Amino acid sequence: MIELRDACFSYDGEKNVLDHVSLSLEGGEHLVLLGRNGSGKSTLGKLLNGSLRPSDGSVLLDGLDVSAAPRANLARATGYVRQDPLSQIVSDLCFDEVAFGPRNLGLPREEVRSRTAETLEACGIADLAQRLTSELSGGQQQLLALAGVLAMRPSHVVLDEADSHLDQATRSLLRAVVRELAPRGTGVLEIAHSGEALLDATRVAVLAGGRVAWEGAPERFLCDPAALAASGLAEDPLTAALARAARDGRRVGREDAADALAPYVEDGATAPERRQTVRLSASGVHVSYGDLPALRGVDFASEGLTLLLGASGSGKTTLARVLAGVLAPDAGEALLDAAPVRPGMVGLSFQRPEDQLFCETVLDDIAYGPRSREMGEGAALDAARAAAARLGVGEGLLDRSPFSLSGGQMRRVALAGVVAARPGAYVFDEPSAGLDAPGRAELVRLVRDLVDGGAAGVVITHDAGEWLDAADDVAFIRDGRVVDVAPADVVRRSPALFEAAGLEPPLLVRARAAREGDAHA
Amino acid sequence: MRKRAILGAYVGGDTLAHRLDARVKIALLVMATVAAFAASVPVGLAVVVAGLAAALVASRTSPLTVLRGLRPAAVILGLSVLANAVVLVGQPGLSLDGLARGVTAVARIALVVGFALVLSATTMPTAVATALSQLMAPLARLGAPVGAIATATSVALRFIPLMGSEVERIRCAQRARGAVLDGSLLVTLRGWRQVLVPLVVALLRRADELAEALCDRCYTGEQTSMAEPLRPRDWAALVIGAAWALAAALPLH
Repeated sequence: MIELRDACFSYDGEKNVLDHVSLSLEGGEHLVLLGRNGSGKSTLGKLLNGSLRPSDGSVLLDGLDVSAAPRANLARATGYVRQDPLSQIVSDLCFDEVAFGPRNLGLPREEVRSRTAETLEACGIADLAQRLTSELSGGQQQLLALAGVLAMRPSHVVLDEADSHLDQATRSLLRAVVRELAPRGTGVLEIAHSGEALLDATRVAVLAGGRVAWEGAPERFLCDPAALAASGLAEDPLTAALARAARDGRRVGREDAADALAPYVEDGATAPERRQTVRLSASGVHVSYGDLPALRGVDFASEGLTLLLGASGSGKTTLARVLAGVLAPDAGEALLDAAPVRPGMVGLSFQRPEDQLFCETVLDDIAYGPRSREMGEGAALDAARAAAARLGVGEGLLDRSPFSLSGGQMRRVALAGVVAARPGAYVFDEPSAGLDAPGRAELVRLVRDLVDGGAAGVVITHDAGEWLDAADDVAFIRDGRVVDVAPADVVRRSPALFEAAGLEPPLLVRARAAREGDAHA
Repeated sequence: MRKRAILGAYVGGDTLAHRLDARVKIALLVMATVAAFAASVPVGLAVVVAGLAAALVASRTSPLTVLRGLRPAAVILGLSVLANAVVLVGQPGLSLDGLARGVTAVARIALVVGFALVLSATTMPTAVATALSQLMAPLARLGAPVGAIATATSVALRFIPLMGSEVERIRCAQRARGAVLDGSLLVTLRGWRQVLVPLVVALLRRADELAEALCDRCYTGEQTSMAEPLRPRDWAALVIGAAWALAAALPLH
């Protein structure tokens, strides 16, 4: 058991990110830790594995105070899986990656070998052992990162939003591995931003403003409006359905989640009103990377807000670049209405847009796009200020360096920079990964607003469940081809469309389909 | 994102050359280098050429790869052949002796490049790094941080492709905001400057996270060595290689 007792932590020595937190993680439990961005969840996780030490209070491992013990004691007891696999993989070869931890523990060579093989097997990636880590898909890399941690056989594991970059199918694989841990006595702390994690939870804790705002059983959490509000999940449609079920006294488990949830999903059938917008299209697009075809004859058009869904490696990101005019296809073309798309005509935003800032002041960065459109300095600055206001970037920040801002502020600045040039269309590539539920909802509203203002919007996302309510159409892409296009209000209750594209349908979609099935029966 | 076959990059496969122990391959490369420069003309050199042919076959590497490998140095190599052939003193003209001398020297270099490419095409960079550190292991007794060097090399090698994709992403995002990154020298330089800022910030962030991830997994610099004893096939390759190098280098002909 690991226990934080009255622990505080501060990065700058002034403001406590964690403020007198007491929380324990026992072997065999699956504790889901919820809270808004910036509430201190990751910091708490890092106290548990010793990568941070409390500035006040203590950390106890099996009852012994280890606050001052060598780092390795806690690191050995607590494995830590991060959000981005690229920041934790250190080897070229998958086998070496998993063997890295056991080798550091100084285990004999034969045991390193057997543990590595066993863990690869348990994580379902035994066939990848001799592959290069850089050749794997993002999802496979994350399974590998998990294997690298589990091979050390830690008594506790912290999953820090470990599945937030994954598509639904890989998420399920990862969750299946994680679900095996608690029954075998490992204590699991899962830091999460979605309601789905609740299906596996044995206990829930909510952090707010650096304090434990709520702690208890998942059923009680779902029935407690104050706890839901503090976690930021109150508006999350999946969590809301789980909460309605819980109030009925039903515990929704992983196994039959879709059927159990069916009576409780809201149809929310108010599809957004379709607006006349610009048309962003691609016709006959082929792109190959060397011998590897990424897109093979894609015809695609977006009027209004279109979701582009596909498994990893299906060509989504390549299509996004073609649509934005920054990747010239081998054949075919992208059009904005009738004009060929050139760079600058379509706004493009990647996952972690905050990584893109480069100017000396916030205002310069936001004004970069408008200035390059040569609309005149005054007009460019006006456009920048308007975009800043729209994204909630305060006047006081405009003269600061973007690198002095918090992560959340940086993201707003970066999005303002994309919006400021008022492009005719937008392409968002995984815009909501890593955002908490209210942040995601805000982003969905922003994109919907842009579309209602007459722009075409294309959103690539793994979290289809969250975007379906706001979208007009959904295009499915598989192996470099658009295989299906359907109105979003049809897709919302059609798991078959996801399956045909090689995707696992979101739980909400399956639950809606189950409900309709019941209604027809 | 666009992948090109990079010269000297590892090519996956399961040939005899792939299966040999990396330490043996490094030792063989050293022997081959000595043989290529010590070989007599023409018999010794012919033995070395035969060795390279065998290595190319054993690794399924195309001879074209070797020619491409020489391209970056083609101008210098060509000039050195010419410089040896052209006689300016006495009666100006072409010297056949000099030409032969130049061609021989270039041939020796080409052979070494060929052997090096076979090594790099069949051995992953980290395997080379690991093998080097294992070969250097005796130095650890003298206090050299061999383990730390090996890990640092392996992590650095992992960062190179990451950096490539990061640059590509940043350039895409900036071009979508209307940035002109290519053109005149001045424009290109300015373009690189504004790509470098987010690149360095991102790399530093990654480096930080990676350092933390190393500590999370109890890395201290001391690791179980995974070095295997050499297998019979490796010993056989060493013995045959040594005999071949001797045959090429010794003036028995």
